[in-house]
This record gives sequence, C-alpha cells and structure tokens, in this order.
Amino acid sequence: MIHPSARLVDAETGRVVAGGELSGLVAAAADTLGAVRAPGPVFALTPTDVDGVVRYLGAFAARRAVALLDPALPALPGLVERFAPAVVTGVRGAAPAGYRDANLPGLGPVWLRTGRDGVAPHPDLGLLLTTSGSTGNPKLVRLSRAAVRANAAQIADSLGIDGAAVAPTTLPLFYTYGLSVLNSHLLRGATVLLEREGLLRAGFWRAVDTHRATSLAAVPYQYEMLRRLRFDPAQHPSLTTLTQAGGRLHPDLVADFARRMGGNLYVMYGQTEATARMTVLPPARLADKPGSAGLPVPGGSLAVDGGEIVYTGPNVMMGYAESAADLARGDELGGVLRTGDLGHLDDEGFLFLTGRAKRIGKVFGVRVNLDDVERSLAAHGPVAAVAGDDRLRVFLEDGDPRAVRSELAARLGTHVSGLDVRAVDRLPLLPTGKIDYRALESTA
Amino acid sequence: MTELRRLREAFRTSLDLPPDAEVDDLRYQDNEKWDSLAHMSLVAAIEDEFSVMIDTDDVIALSSFKEAVRILGEHGIEFRD
Repeated sequence: MIHPSARLVDAETGRVVAGGELSGLVAAAADTLGAVRAPGPVFALTPTDVDGVVRYLGAFAARRAVALLDPALPALPGLVERFAPAVVTGVRGAAPAGYRDANLPGLGPVWLRTGRDGVAPHPDLGLLLTTSGSTGNPKLVRLSRAAVRANAAQIADSLGIDGAAVAPTTLPLFYTYGLSVLNSHLLRGATVLLEREGLLRAGFWRAVDTHRATSLAAVPYQYEMLRRLRFDPAQHPSLTTLTQAGGRLHPDLVADFARRMGGNLYVMYGQTEATARMTVLPPARLADKPGSAGLPVPGGSLAVDGGEIVYTGPNVMMGYAESAADLARGDELGGVLRTGDLGHLDDEGFLFLTGRAKRIGKVFGVRVNLDDVERSLAAHGPVAAVAGDDRLRVFLEDGDPRAVRSELAARLGTHVSGLDVRAVDRLPLLPTGKIDYRALESTA
Repeated sequence: MTELRRLREAFRTSLDLPPDAEVDDLRYQDNEKWDSLAHMSLVAAIEDEFSVMIDTDDVIALSSFKEAVRILGEHGIEFRD
C-alpha cells in the first residue's frame, strides 16, 4: 500500500522518513510481528508520529489484523479482555494479567500475550476500527485488506491525489477519516505531514507553510474553528484544497469555504463501515447541487431502500466484531452496506441525506449512541437524548443540568459546549407511552 | 474589578470549572480541560462578553488568562485590581 515515493515528515522535528528507510522500518516491524506466535489481532495504540505509522504499516505488511486505537482509550482493558490481542503495541505502563512486557525490535515497548491458545482472525481481515469514540464498550468494524486498499485508491482517484500532494494530519490516525488521509496519500507517493498540535496552534500553521501543505482535511467543528480563525488561503499559498467529512457541514459553511477556496472544497460522505469514504461531491457541482453529499466513489454504487441509503462497493466491511470469536468470521455483507442514513438520489444520482434511521447522534464528529447516553444517565431520573447539529441535546425531568452536562462530557471525553442539557417538567410522550423524540428534536 | 470578574467567569464556564476555581494563573498547556474545543468555546465567550472581535493571531496567542488580559487590553478594555 506504500508507493515507493511516499514520505512521512514529522512536523515537530522535521524528520523525513521515505524510500528505503521507510520500507526498512516497516519491514522490521512486520518481521517482528510475523514472529509473534500467539494467535489474535495486533492492537496498535496509535499516536500521530512516525513510530505509530510504522507499527500500523508493519502489521498490515505482516498480514496481521490490526486494530488502531486511541492511546488514551479508557476502554482499553475491556477491549483487551474481549478481543485477546496477541500483542499490544505503543504501550506505556505495565502489562495486564495474561500479558508480559517486552521491548521488541522495530516495535518498541509492547505487551505480549503469554498463552498460545486463542482464535486466529480470518485471513482476509486487515484492519479493525472502533465505531464510536471512547464511550461504553465499542464494537469493532472488520475491514478486509482488500477493502482498505480499494478505498485508499477510490479516495485518491476522487480527489486527484498525486506525488506532489502534502497532507498534514488534522485528525487522529485511529479515526477513519484521519486514517483515510494517510492511506490515500501513501498509496500515491504523496507526503503526509505528521502534526500533533492542531489547527489552533501557531505551530500547525508554521508547519503548513514550511512543508508547503497542499490540502487540509476537516470535520464540521474544525470548519467552525477555521471560520473563527478567519482562515484565509491567501496567507498559505501552498494550500489549494479543503476536504470535509465526519458529518453534515452546515450549508452556510459549505458556501463560505467554497468561496474562500475558489471552489476547491470536496464535501464527502462516509462511514467506518465503508472503511472511510462512500461519496464525494465534485467541486464543480457545489453550486448546482447545494446540500448534496455527491456521487459514489469509483467502483461504488448507491440505492435507496425504504428511504434508507444502501451502498455497494469493494470498501464495505466484512461485518462487526463484539468478541475474539467474531474475528474468525468471513465476509457477512457481500459488499452491501445498509447505512442507517435516510436520504434520496436525484435524477443524476447525486446523494442527498435527510437524517438517521437509527438512534445515533454526533458530538464534534464522534458518533454517540443516544440510547447508551440515556442508560448512562438513568440514575438522574427520566432522561431523553436527541441529536442536534454535531451536538447532543439531553432533556431531564429531575437532576441538575449543569452537573449532568459535566458528567456526560467527562464520560464521552468531549467538551461541554457539545452538550445542551435542559430541565423539563415532563418529557413529551407518544400515545404509546414512548418518548416523543420528534417533539424534542423540533425544540429550538 | 468587574471586567476581571467577567473574564474569570468566561474562563470557568468555557473550561467547565467550579464557580470558585482560581483561574488567574491558568495556562493552556497546564490544564487538561483546555483542549481545542474548550479553546473555541473560550474565544466565543470572550468575544460575546466583551463585544470584541479577536483576530487570527490572537486566537492562536490566547494561551493563558494573562494573555487574554493583554489581548483585551489592546481592544481598550482595562483591567484594574
């Protein structure tokens, strides 16, 4: 998946890793992982640095299923217990029960499972990603190696990525959109600038200018940040393209940034269940297809079934995994993904999304199961959660909204400004006695 | 004094700190609640509270309570003890 011209540049140190050095590091990590005898996936805690990228690429090259995880994931002990990884890379701290600490060539500090029993993952399985942020007990999405490669190529083709492209990391690599930027650029021999500070730090913009970044990938809340920063591409002449995914971007922001970029804004739609990307709106159609999520990436197709968007393509997942045993399962979807998103296609096949079929919300781009939120707050009395625009709205009959807001923000690992918690006398009910979510959603 | 109190309150609200939290010595790198989302919330709160527009360089420079006092000072807002 790595083109011979692909380059990694560390923004902080200026270190460039490319060509024979990059392939050598990846091969060293792959050799070590290939020699790990215990069956099971590789868990890779993945910071945005050269070592993190090399461990991921090494696992992929060694044909071992690799789960990319947040290094700060609170749910890690539970995941280790449920999925019995053969090895956990990128670790700090002592190994849990059943594992021993080791320092391995090409990998650095790891936890190695001491037993040799366990389930061998399916041979096609290449990548595992979590469906939600840090909440509860995340499921893993099972992606084949072929799906990861296919989607990297689909994205590179749709965005016209070539060897001259330079993409800074604006999102974590364990998050599908962030990873897709890495994969699609490495595939085409481009440069990935590994930046850890983020859009709001001066260091980020220095790195953009020093290394002549050509594009930025951002989710809706980052577009709000860019607007507040009064982002002006004229001050960063190398930057020619913005891409957007991670939830619906408000039409005002789409129009605003399309104007700032002279039209070079790619609005996209995807899900972890489709590796990353399903559709891209060609910038030339921004003006005559306002509000559209675009056309399927090459090799993909869309249909609507009972209002639900159904995507078919080579990048669709094999299925979910809730336990180690599930990792042995083969492809259960046959390339057909029921997205759970509602919408329609126009006469030219452009996708327009209208809502969610399932009880899922998003907070700053991170998917949140609304029923889980309600269950986690049950101790506060009757509670209802609905999705807002990249925010969550929670209604309480009892309990202190401010305290609940702080508690929920801590549990979801997000900022309180993503949560609107309100007290109500009574939650509105339908004649069936169920909560009337429509009424709550329409509350201003 | 009033201005100082209003700025402290903007920090407490944006960083989700208790009403009696000491904020005058807060710095971005020392406070785990002060992440990029909190930062945007803080900039918005300060702009609303003091009816100012903070420019790009200052949004990035606003990395401590004292820096916020300096930036607002440039907008003609005086802080007296």
